[in-house]
Amino acid sequence: MSTWSSPAAIAVEDQLFRALAVLRIVVLANAVVLAVYRADDVGRPAAMAACVVTMIGWTGFATWAYAEPHRRGRALLAADLAIAVAMLLASPYVMADGATASVPGFWIIGALIAWAIHYRWVGGLVAGLVLAAADLARQDLDWSDYGNAFLLVVGGPVIGFVCGSLQQLATERDAAERAAAVAAERARLARAVHDGVLQVLALVQRRGGELGGAAADLGRLAGEQERQLRALIRAQDDLGDGARTGAVDVVAELVRLESRRSVTVSTPGTPVEVPAATARELVAVVGACLDNVRTHVGEDAPAWVLLQAFPDRVELSVRDDGPGIPAGRLEEAAVEGRLGVAESIRGRVADLGGTAEVVSGPFGTEWEIVVPRPVGSTP
Amino acid sequence: MTEAEARLRVMVVDDHPMWRDAVERDLAAAGLDMVAVAATGREAVARYPAARPDVVVLDLQIPEPDGVAVTAAVVAEDPSARVLILSASGEPGDVLAAVKAGATGYLVKSASREELLDAVRRTAAGDPVFTPGLAGLVLGEFQRISGAPAPAPDPGEPSLTDRETEVLRLVAKGLSYRQIAERLVLSHRTVQNHVQNTLRKLHMHNRVELTRYAIERGLDE
Repeated sequence: MSTWSSPAAIAVEDQLFRALAVLRIVVLANAVVLAVYRADDVGRPAAMAACVVTMIGWTGFATWAYAEPHRRGRALLAADLAIAVAMLLASPYVMADGATASVPGFWIIGALIAWAIHYRWVGGLVAGLVLAAADLARQDLDWSDYGNAFLLVVGGPVIGFVCGSLQQLATERDAAERAAAVAAERARLARAVHDGVLQVLALVQRRGGELGGAAADLGRLAGEQERQLRALIRAQDDLGDGARTGAVDVVAELVRLESRRSVTVSTPGTPVEVPAATARELVAVVGACLDNVRTHVGEDAPAWVLLQAFPDRVELSVRDDGPGIPAGRLEEAAVEGRLGVAESIRGRVADLGGTAEVVSGPFGTEWEIVVPRPVGSTP
Repeated sequence: MTEAEARLRVMVVDDHPMWRDAVERDLAAAGLDMVAVAATGREAVARYPAARPDVVVLDLQIPEPDGVAVTAAVVAEDPSARVLILSASGEPGDVLAAVKAGATGYLVKSASREELLDAVRRTAAGDPVFTPGLAGLVLGEFQRISGAPAPAPDPGEPSLTDRETEVLRLVAKGLSYRQIAERLVLSHRTVQNHVQNTLRKLHMHNRVELTRYAIERGLDE
């Protein structure tokens, strides 16, 4: 029963009992006013007065007693219900013959709801049945009494069920918040560890390059690992939200491309969410552009990828410092009926509803890709 | 190496002893004056006022307070302070926060000795040292600022001119200032000014945001 004893569940119970304390005063006032108003129906005024004093006294005591979680034991709840039942059972003795009203009237729902809050739907059902039976045990009844008894039996469990659900939700929310805090702390620790590893890799890379020879090879390897790890960390940071919304953070996807040597990926600092299929295509297109750089400029030729996000579109640029595409080569390929890389890139981007332009010259080659985003995406 | 460069005063803040030594050695070998080192944020903030370096070479991941907080403290102490961030992990959030707090340069630790020296000299000269990655982050930040649904559009809100955006885009695409100057038919100095303005506006925006935050929280008395 840890769900019911969790701090969150107890906080919910506290709040419900505070609300019940207010309700008890309202139904008490109602009972007292009716007792005075129906003075003619009372057979034994002294007994009626004793009952009213008992109800006032118990309401005060119950308000105090239910305020603290440790006082809400079986004894208190049993006494609460017993007094409500006693008030009902005393009615035939107190009231005049032929009077259909009971002594406590609606005052008894204080006990019913207390049971529903503390023992949830089972408590609501038990208290409802007991009170309904006590009410129907009186002799002079009219049809509205059957209606009230029915309401007690139905209402008790319903209130109890709602109270139970509230406590469960609060407990679950608490657990989720704790899990999030733990995950954040773990991520913080991991960052410190990763940073230490990256420091050493960067140092090896730097010193290795300076020493030359076999050390330079070590340095190059360290540099590769550093890039891989950095890309991995960034990709990992962005896990989580995508699965829920069906959208993917295209930043995390693109950053993976940095693990290729000599590729620099620049992006905004916040996630850029696009539909998963769009993200996949964009990464594939950028990959094709980078493959092209490798083929035509060189295995280790530097290339730069820039992602910009706008509310209605994303813009991608892939640039290299190579000699550029010789004039007429793309047209030549098209005439020969070959579907060049450029055409394939344009086609894939067009399928996403976007455009891809290529500029080439002695300064290098630059692809500009613009793809619309579904309206409502966050920039 | 000119007389002025020889006197450049540098402070290195890094909790990794091997790194601190390596950076110190490289800079000292190039004739720079190493006036202080610190291994934690607390040491850095305590030693800065006495050392008064021209450039603080700062790692972001250091024991409390972290590099972002140290940047803010140093710039608050001396608004003309020059902070060059030298980070291994280059967490985009941290880098952007440090630059918003007043750092004027950022370099990854895998950069070569020559790149480091160049970056320190440029930082000392007040020239922002942007990597393409940092330019991308700053572009994204301005996009976020202009795209944010503000309750009332603030005319005082700093925004980039078209030319500044253009220059920043080219930096993010990996072009050097020289290449940008060639492509846009501008002088090298003008390109530098545009990048400097970009940073100035980012700092201004950060102050506006901080002030707004303080007022919202009732901290402005």
